[in-house]
Formats: sequence, C-alpha cells, structure tokens
Amino acid sequence: MGDFWFEFVEITQTIGDGLFFGATYSLIGIGFTLIFGAMHKLNMTYAAASLAGAYVGLAAFTFVNAPALVVFLISALASGLIGLVVYVACFRFIPVNNHLAALMASIGALFFIDEIVVHTTDGSPLTFPAMFEYVMLEVGPWGLRGDLLFVLAVSVASTVGLLYVLYRSRLGLATRAVSQQDVAARLCGIDVHRTNATTFVLAGLLGGVAGAMTAAAVGVLSPLVTVPLTVKGLIVTVIGGLGSIPGAIVAGLLVGGLENVFLYFRGVNERDMYVLLLLFVFLVFRPHGIFGSAIDRD
Amino acid sequence: MSIKRLSAAALAGVVAAALVAFAPTASAASDRTVKIAGWGAKSGPLRSFGVNSEAVLKAAVQAINDAGGVKLGDGTMADMELDYHDSACNADQAISVARKVESQSEALIGIGPTCSGAAAAMYGIFQKTVDDDSDTGLQFPILTDTAIRPGLAKKSQWTFRNVPNEITMYDELFKWLREQYPDVSTIYGGTETDQAHSKLTFAIVIVPMAKKHGFEWVGGGIEGVTGAVREGYENVLEVSKSSNWLLADTNFSVQARAFKKSGADMMIVSSHPFTTCGMLKEMKRQRINPKVLVGLTSSSSAETLKGCADAAEGIYIPTGFAPITEAAAMVAAAAEANGGSADLHSAAAWENAHIIKQVVEATGVMAKPETLAEDRRKMRDGLEALVNVDGLLGEIGRVQDEGESIKPYVFVQARSGDWEVVHDPR
Repeated sequence: MGDFWFEFVEITQTIGDGLFFGATYSLIGIGFTLIFGAMHKLNMTYAAASLAGAYVGLAAFTFVNAPALVVFLISALASGLIGLVVYVACFRFIPVNNHLAALMASIGALFFIDEIVVHTTDGSPLTFPAMFEYVMLEVGPWGLRGDLLFVLAVSVASTVGLLYVLYRSRLGLATRAVSQQDVAARLCGIDVHRTNATTFVLAGLLGGVAGAMTAAAVGVLSPLVTVPLTVKGLIVTVIGGLGSIPGAIVAGLLVGGLENVFLYFRGVNERDMYVLLLLFVFLVFRPHGIFGSAIDRD
Repeated sequence: MSIKRLSAAALAGVVAAALVAFAPTASAASDRTVKIAGWGAKSGPLRSFGVNSEAVLKAAVQAINDAGGVKLGDGTMADMELDYHDSACNADQAISVARKVESQSEALIGIGPTCSGAAAAMYGIFQKTVDDDSDTGLQFPILTDTAIRPGLAKKSQWTFRNVPNEITMYDELFKWLREQYPDVSTIYGGTETDQAHSKLTFAIVIVPMAKKHGFEWVGGGIEGVTGAVREGYENVLEVSKSSNWLLADTNFSVQARAFKKSGADMMIVSSHPFTTCGMLKEMKRQRINPKVLVGLTSSSSAETLKGCADAAEGIYIPTGFAPITEAAAMVAAAAEANGGSADLHSAAAWENAHIIKQVVEATGVMAKPETLAEDRRKMRDGLEALVNVDGLLGEIGRVQDEGESIKPYVFVQARSGDWEVVHDPR
C-alpha cells in the first residue's frame, strides 16, 4: 500500500507539474493558431519573437532594476512591436497565395532574431525575474509551484482577454471576417492589411507574455530555448487544431502533462520521441486536431 | 640589498627596458609574421565560449608583440598575427574552417574548436599518422583550447590539446571530498544527455571516480561501475539509475523530484550553465539540500553565476583556471579589457599563444610563404617534443603520445556570487 500510494503521488505530481508548465505551451500555441486562423499561414518567427520580447523586458530588469510585473509588461509590448515588424518584413508584401515564400521568410526571420539575441547576450544564460519563484504550496503530499500557478493565472487572464477582443470588439469582428473570407471582408470596407497587422501585434503581445512566463518559470533566459519552443508551439497548434484557440489551450496542457509522463516512465532520451509520435498520430488519424474544423482528405 | 646587487638589478632593468623599447623597431623591420588561426563558437547559443577564447587570444598576441614578437629561425623578430573564425558549435563548420585555413591561409597552426563533438569530427579529417603517404588527411597542426571531452587528441598525430584532464581532476576532487566529508556516503545525479561532454564526463569520469573513493550510488550502486574510467558507463545513463535532461530543457520538476527521492548525501549536476541553473533552481524550489553538490568543469564560469548565483551557492567544481597567480590575474583583466572573460576554457588560449611562440623559437620556423609546409611540420614536431611548459597556474605537463596536457588545477566553490578557491593541490 505504501509503495502504491507513493507511486500514485509521484505520478499525479508529475502530471500536475506538466499541466502547469503546459500553460506556457498553450500561450505559444495560441499565438501560432491566431495568425494561422487570420491568414492561413504559419509564422515560424513567433516563438523567437516572443523570447526576444522577453529579452527586452530583461534589459529593463538589468539596467533599471524594474520589478517583475513591469518586466512582463515590457516583454509583451516589445514582442507586440516585433510582431508588427515581422508582419511587414515577412508577410505584408508577399503575394497572398505564395505560402512557401512567407513560410521561408518567417523561418529566415526566426534565425535572424535568434542571432541578434545571441550576439547581444553572447548566448549567456541570464537570470530572469519571477513572481513567487521559490513559493511552494503544499497540499498533503503534493506540491504546487507558486510561480507556475502565477503563470497559469496570467495565461488564463491573457486568453480571456484575447477571446474578449476576438468576440466582443470590432477589431475581433474584422479579424474573424478576414479569416473567413478576405475578399468579402475587403468588399465590406475592412482594411485587410491593417487587420492582419493588428492580429500580429495581438499575437505578439500574447507571445511576449508567453516568453516572459517561460523565462520566469525556468528562472533563466537563454537563446537555447528558441527552437524547442517553436517546435512545441507547432505541435500544440496541430494537435489542438490549426486555427482553434480552445484547441491550443487544451493541447498545450496535454503536451505539457504527457511530456512529463513520458519523461517519468521512459526517460529523457525517449520523451520527445513519444511527443512527436503523438503529433504523427494526430496528423494521420485526426489531421484537423482536437478542435479544428474537419479537413477533407481529398 | 647591497649596492652591488642594486646596481645589478638596475642594470638588468635598463637592459630589459632597452630590449622592450627596441623590439618594435626590430619587429617592424621584418615583413614576416607568425600567422595563427583560431576558431570557435561565435554564433549560436554557445557564443560566449568563442567570444572568450578570441578575447584571450587577442590579448596574448598583443602581449607577445608588445614584448618584441617571436624570434624566427634566422634571428629575425616577427609579430604574431591572429585570424579568428566562427565555427559555431558545429562539426561541419569546424571541418570547413579547418580545411579553409589549411589550404587558403599561411597560418602555421590552428587553435580550436569550442565543442567536443565538433573537435571529435574535425580531428578525423587530419592525417592520422605522420608521414603516412597513403593518408591524405590534413597536415596542419592544431592546439585546441576548449573542447575538453577526455581522450580526443590521439585521433591524429597533428592534433594536440591544452585542456584540463578531467579524469585527474575528478579523481582528486572526490578524494578530497572524502577527507572533508567523512560522513557523506551516498551519491546521485544527472546530466544533459544530448551534450557529449556533459554526458560522457558524467558517465565515464565523474561517477566512476566517486565510486573509486568509496561513494555509493543510492540503491546499491550501478552494475559494471567499478571505479575504473569507462567501466559500466552505459548503465550510468539508464532511466532507472540517473535522472537526466536535455541541453535546452526548461522543466526540471521530474528530475529534481528523483534527486529528492534519492535522499543522497552528495548530488551531481553534470551540465552546462543554462541547464545547471534550471536544475539548481528547481532543486532549491523543492528544498533539496544535499550535504555536497558537485558540478561539471564547464559550469565553473561567469555564466553560471550570471544565471543563478543564489541557487548555485555551495557547489564544488574542479577547474584549470582561477585568478590566483599574478599571471592568471593579469590574463583575467586582459580578457575583460578585450570584451570577454577568462575561465578554464578560454585561459588556455593565452597559454596556447605562448606555447606557439616557444615552439616557433625552438624549432627555427622561418615564416616564409615558401617554407609554409615545412614550418607547419616543425610546429607539429615541436609540439610533440614538448615535455613541460609554463602555464598560468604553474607547469603544464604533456602526454606526448596522446597529444594531451596535464594541467594544474584547483577546486572552487560558489560563494556569495563568486568562485572561491577552496583547495589548491598544486
């Protein structure tokens, strides 16, 4: 009984930790899915821009000792601005139907942004401020990290805010209209480019929060994180369903939880293999993801 | 001090000053230069390694030139000239730079690369055995400063390294810890398994050396690990034994809980600064307080303290560099002036530049375009013949048939945001 109970606590704690950490994946996934939903294009720069925003926030911490909340806010604003630049550089002037060019441009921008960060920081890991960093709430034998609870709360608040903008504002109406039929939206007098640019800024703001939350959860910021976070974001987007915000939320938590379970049972060398297998299973058997609209194979 | 001695000292001072004053003139008179090439990670996440090596190399070359340069085979004084290339932490790029430098430059020798994986691949393109006409590999000497994974240089007789010997360092560290902490008996730890240096040093060196000095892996040991280097190393990395992570991981909760569950007296975190910090912070969150904490050599750097000085408090690491001698302190200051920092990896670049000067002068290198191949061969032979050289912490011994070094080392501990030397076995 003792062993069973111990194992039960371990496994539930493992899943719980993963779910909490998965909140950061959800935020990244939402950004990917938001842009895909609006433009039907993948913005591969998204995670790099999110982390670059976190670096700008970190600069405020380093140079003027700004408090953590201000750092998070600056991260979000900076990432929103970078999102706008990425839109102009990689999407605005590329013909709408040339998906490959936009994709390649955004991959190029990903590495460009990453190298700027590397050259500015020499690639050194830097301490990132966190809220409730060493707070651990204990519930019986389980422990809940205070900083991850904060991350989850911020993620939920950001998502609610985003959903409000999308479904209760004129901007959201315009975004959804462009997403559904951009020619019709144009005929209705909607400025498609401005709407897309605003979507990039919105996604960027959310990405900045995600970047800052990821850095805060680790306590250290490093350019090493960029590519893995990009991959996680894409996995979450596909599993959740391209274009589905609720899907990105659920998939982020799912990937975070399962990642920890795979790690616990199979070790780190096999962990990512199973996560990628999960992606493969979804692509083959449920290509529209958990919540995405059905895709006709033919 | 007697008048006579004082006069002698004054005379020596005047002569030295005159030599220094006239040296640039002699150097300027020569249009020949001793060209050396360096390469390391100047892009990518490990950029700090390349930046630090380049900064220290530049400072060393400047110091050599300021002191009159290098004496060539015909007595001419020549300046040393450095070209530094970016090979990232990438085997293809390291190989490409090595080929380019060998074929398109007049460099007598190369210093690099940063990463052990890149070095292992790069060494493979060099001629394995000197004078083997059937082997068309590169005939160009290399004196690596950073890539530290044990046993790499013997891949080719053209490749040499001036890097700390981790086997000796961890052997002595655990012996010392045994004396300092007689009540400590059990150990547990983990590593980043996608980073060759961290993983292999952990499995091949650290765990066996701990075992050798009587520390027992929790749960009764690991099959095949007897205390001899390499023995049973595959078993160290098994899921049920150690708790590991990857170089870019961000979530360490499962691994830290395994550390906690082990209840070991001594814990080992064998990784580079980013994940060392992530793991140590998670350990602090989970209130894991081992009696002794041991880290990987590469984490004894400024990066770790920049990332997590508070969580790293108390960690012990063996290192081949600390500013504890006049020369080492001077190099640390010079590196900082050049925009880098001196640590166990980059400080070797200073020693390498001076070793090259010593070898050029000992072997009569001419540094003329028409003697390039002959000069490179002289450099190789000179490096192989070296027995002892002066290093920043003391004399560096050589293992001639393996191209490796035996460097002096110290044990440092993170204390209040700084690395403090806690044991100096020199």
